[in-house]
Amino acid sequence: MYSWNFAPVLANSDLLLAGLWNTLALTFVALAGGLPVGLALALARLSGTRSLSVPAGIVIEVFRTTPPLVQLFWFYFGLPIVLNVEMTPYLAAALTFTIQSGAFFAEIFRAGIVSVDKGQREAARAIGMSSTQTMARIVLPQAVKRMFPAMMERSIELMKTTTLVATVSYADLLYQANELAQKTFRPLEVFTAAALIYFVTISLFSALGALVERRMAASGEMAAR
Amino acid sequence: MAYRWDFAPILDNWQALAAGIAGTLRLFLVCLVLGLGFGLLVALMRIARQRPLRWLAIGFIEFFRNTPVLVQILWFYFALPMLVAVEISPFMAAILGISLNSAAYSAEIYRGGIQSIEPGQWEAARSIGMSGFQTLRRIVLPQALRRVLPALTNRGIEIFKMTTLASVVAYVELLHQGKLVASLNFNPLEVYTVVGALFFLILYPLVRATYALERRLARSD
Repeated sequence: MYSWNFAPVLANSDLLLAGLWNTLALTFVALAGGLPVGLALALARLSGTRSLSVPAGIVIEVFRTTPPLVQLFWFYFGLPIVLNVEMTPYLAAALTFTIQSGAFFAEIFRAGIVSVDKGQREAARAIGMSSTQTMARIVLPQAVKRMFPAMMERSIELMKTTTLVATVSYADLLYQANELAQKTFRPLEVFTAAALIYFVTISLFSALGALVERRMAASGEMAAR
Repeated sequence: MAYRWDFAPILDNWQALAAGIAGTLRLFLVCLVLGLGFGLLVALMRIARQRPLRWLAIGFIEFFRNTPVLVQILWFYFALPMLVAVEISPFMAAILGISLNSAAYSAEIYRGGIQSIEPGQWEAARSIGMSGFQTLRRIVLPQALRRVLPALTNRGIEIFKMTTLASVVAYVELLHQGKLVASLNFNPLEVYTVVGALFFLILYPLVRATYALERRLARSD
């Protein structure tokens, strides 16, 4: 019978917490980058100008259809050769996850924008708004509200996907856990603790998302789930 | 100064990549069958009348949906052997991690499908003398499965992408073989471009098929 001993994990909890911090930092950077990239891709795809919509469509489909780990390896090992630059694990990860989550966000934005009734756009144009004004003042505020549940889900997926950076030696929670497991010879306790930390963190974020969702639903105009 | 692409070393090593594709397909098929099959079982437990079954299913679904699949794979590979004193191969660890993760996700898909069938159909089937299991098998599931088919093919595509994570525990699949070829020939740019393109060529037809399926079901419903 195996006797569990969490003492070595607790003694090194600062390592795991530093890892968690890096995981959160990377998630927020990719989120902050991915949302504008996603909006830009969605607007380009919906623009009706072929020279914009075709490239945007290709970026969206390629990044949604290929495995994120392959993308990360391409950005980390491949891209520096094309651009002739140094690549750090952090930079490669931030770039990969920004574009990848941008591709997924783009489809959410697109669905949200398309879901706003066409009559509203026509009405806004009829009272003299430019198409940018119509988008910014009429369509997007309603679309964003409807998109919120899908956005939240995608952001949580993003946080889980950031574990892949451990494979290119960025010191996220999983990487730190792996190091600690080798140092302490206690893989069972260390990986169990890491899994629990992820579980608590992710559950907390989804509970927060559900709370905001209910608030928004109470104020109306929310897509039913 | 522009980089000169050279795909010749990859063509010379096509056998290594072909072996990788075979490994990817093998892992994908096993995880697809186990993940979607076990998912249905968990979904039925999730809607069972017995409380302990329901709680067990909820605990399982929540845990596996709220932890990263790579953590699960590494847990099965490094941590589980401490507990059960058996050798866990990379293949086995990847199957456990990916299948259980997919089971948790697909359980929620099945549940959504089953609950979308109106209660009147259950009552009608029961009133003409079918047992609960017969009702489920003959009336509810055939309709529910049809409705969730696009969501399930999406899950299948996700499973295919997830198989690349098995390379982390050195299971021989396409990305792992790509890493090998790249380190032998010092050509990561070409290799990872080709590996990415191969995944895209395999998966994109499935993505298109899912779109088409969604449109067809939307029309017929």
